[in-house]
Amino acid sequence: MIERTILVIDDDIDLVEIIRVTLEGEGFKVIDAQNGARGLRLASDQLPDLIILDVMMGEIDEGFQVAYELRNREETREIPILMLTAVVDQTGFDFDPEKDAEFLPVNEFIQKPVAPRELVDLVRKHLPTSV
Amino acid sequence: MNDQKPESVVNDPTLFVTAASLRVRSDWFIRLRWMSVIGVMTGVITADQIAGLPLPVKGIVATALITAILNVGYILHNRRLATSLNNEVRIVKVQMVMDLILLTMLVNLTGGIENPLYLVYIIHVIIASLIFKGKEIYQITALAIILFTLETLGEHFRIIPHHHLMSASETIHEPLYMLMTLGAFWIVLIVAAYIGSTFMKHNRAIKDDLVQRQKELEDADKAKVDFFRFVTHEVKSPIITALSAVDLALDKNDGNEIVDNMLGRASRRLHQAIEIVKDLSDLTRGGMKSRSRKEKIDLAELTKKLLVSRKELIDSRNLTLEADIPSSPVQIRAEYGKVEKILVNLIDNGIRYNHDGKRLYIVLMDVGSKVVFSVQDEGIGIKPKDQKLIFDEFYRTPAAREASTLGTGLGLPIVKRFVEQMKATLKVESEPDVGSTFTVTFRKKL
Repeated sequence: MIERTILVIDDDIDLVEIIRVTLEGEGFKVIDAQNGARGLRLASDQLPDLIILDVMMGEIDEGFQVAYELRNREETREIPILMLTAVVDQTGFDFDPEKDAEFLPVNEFIQKPVAPRELVDLVRKHLPTSV
Repeated sequence: MNDQKPESVVNDPTLFVTAASLRVRSDWFIRLRWMSVIGVMTGVITADQIAGLPLPVKGIVATALITAILNVGYILHNRRLATSLNNEVRIVKVQMVMDLILLTMLVNLTGGIENPLYLVYIIHVIIASLIFKGKEIYQITALAIILFTLETLGEHFRIIPHHHLMSASETIHEPLYMLMTLGAFWIVLIVAAYIGSTFMKHNRAIKDDLVQRQKELEDADKAKVDFFRFVTHEVKSPIITALSAVDLALDKNDGNEIVDNMLGRASRRLHQAIEIVKDLSDLTRGGMKSRSRKEKIDLAELTKKLLVSRKELIDSRNLTLEADIPSSPVQIRAEYGKVEKILVNLIDNGIRYNHDGKRLYIVLMDVGSKVVFSVQDEGIGIKPKDQKLIFDEFYRTPAAREASTLGTGLGLPIVKRFVEQMKATLKVESEPDVGSTFTVTFRKKL
């Protein structure tokens, strides 16, 4: 079986570690980046199978910017993106994952906190079936 | 024309008089002026036809006509938008000067100092002291004094004609009487101007002070909201991360009961902390009026949806749910988030503070222009003395604390705030150990 690589882009190193332990326990390879720029570079270089991206990093909408950039690049365009949002995130604009999802280039929004099982299920759901 | 931005001048709250408020006054003067025209016309007809006084009717009617024509001009001007305060002040000044000149003509035509009509000068001075500040009041006062004095002296020295009010009266040619009248007139006018201006100065100081305090209060409120937003934002991330770590450890734990028990407790309390942060965020965000997107909401559908999502919770407490909800849509126009929050909090309280195995009764009623939503439980109830306190932030009754550790103490304050913002009403009826009924009455249209 081919090892699937998940890229986690999040500036909270503890949360990155939690996601790493969760996913590595299920046989995934996890690479991580603590900011958007490094995340974009890793995505282009390593071409992960799926990307988990936090909305709120250094800048208030950095996650969105990263998502748009990933969709703009030829090599990363097809990689599924799961976007992490916090329950009370104040993103600076009225944002409703249910209504606004179609305008945003990500596959699914995940509200933090997310139970480990649920995260694994969501990753499996969005991974491309054939390589 | 001067090209200051109209809004900034018109709405400057630190000015006691604004261009807009001056306009209102000016419209009021126009009405007064019509009344004076009518008064003069009636007066002259009465004096001429009934009392038979020897008045120069033509001259008086001409004065009234000039006043009327000018008044029409003022009306036409006031139809245009108020521009800057300076412009409006200038226009009102012109009106006052013209009024004083016309008054003087009228005084001259109706007997000069023989006629108590000159008391009307005092009204002009009082109006000036209400509208203007400082030197402008005294300019108007000085003009009134000069005009009346010139008129009187002119008649006295026969430079201008004197029209008798009383046929035989010769008071205008009695130097002593004339000087006494003029002296009294000057003193009364100056004192009126002084009293009016002092009083208004005091009034303006109070007003400025109030405006200043109002601004300070608004600033303090904004600082509070900003602080809450900062705190909720900063506190949320570590709690979420801690909760995720605890949940992962729970997931990885292989059958160690103590670890399971302890991590389970930690997880529940961290969930509670997140709920508190969420509620705090709702409370502070609810304090900002900008986030409002009203939409049509079907309360029947929303209530049913919420009850379905809470079925497990209701069953776990062995509660009997009785829901009396119309099958047809019950629509109101409001902000969805707020309405949902009100319903969720009241339903969850009805479950949380009920006694196991009892009844939970939920009613939705369409009553014309209003919609009534109520949740009735048969639980712990609220003592009369606590019934006001439950709407204070973080207050939980001792019985509520005993019944559940997991409340945030913010649910009802949020309900109350949102209900107030939506101009709905909230009613509580409760008896300890019998149960509570919370009733919200929404208006269909806001």
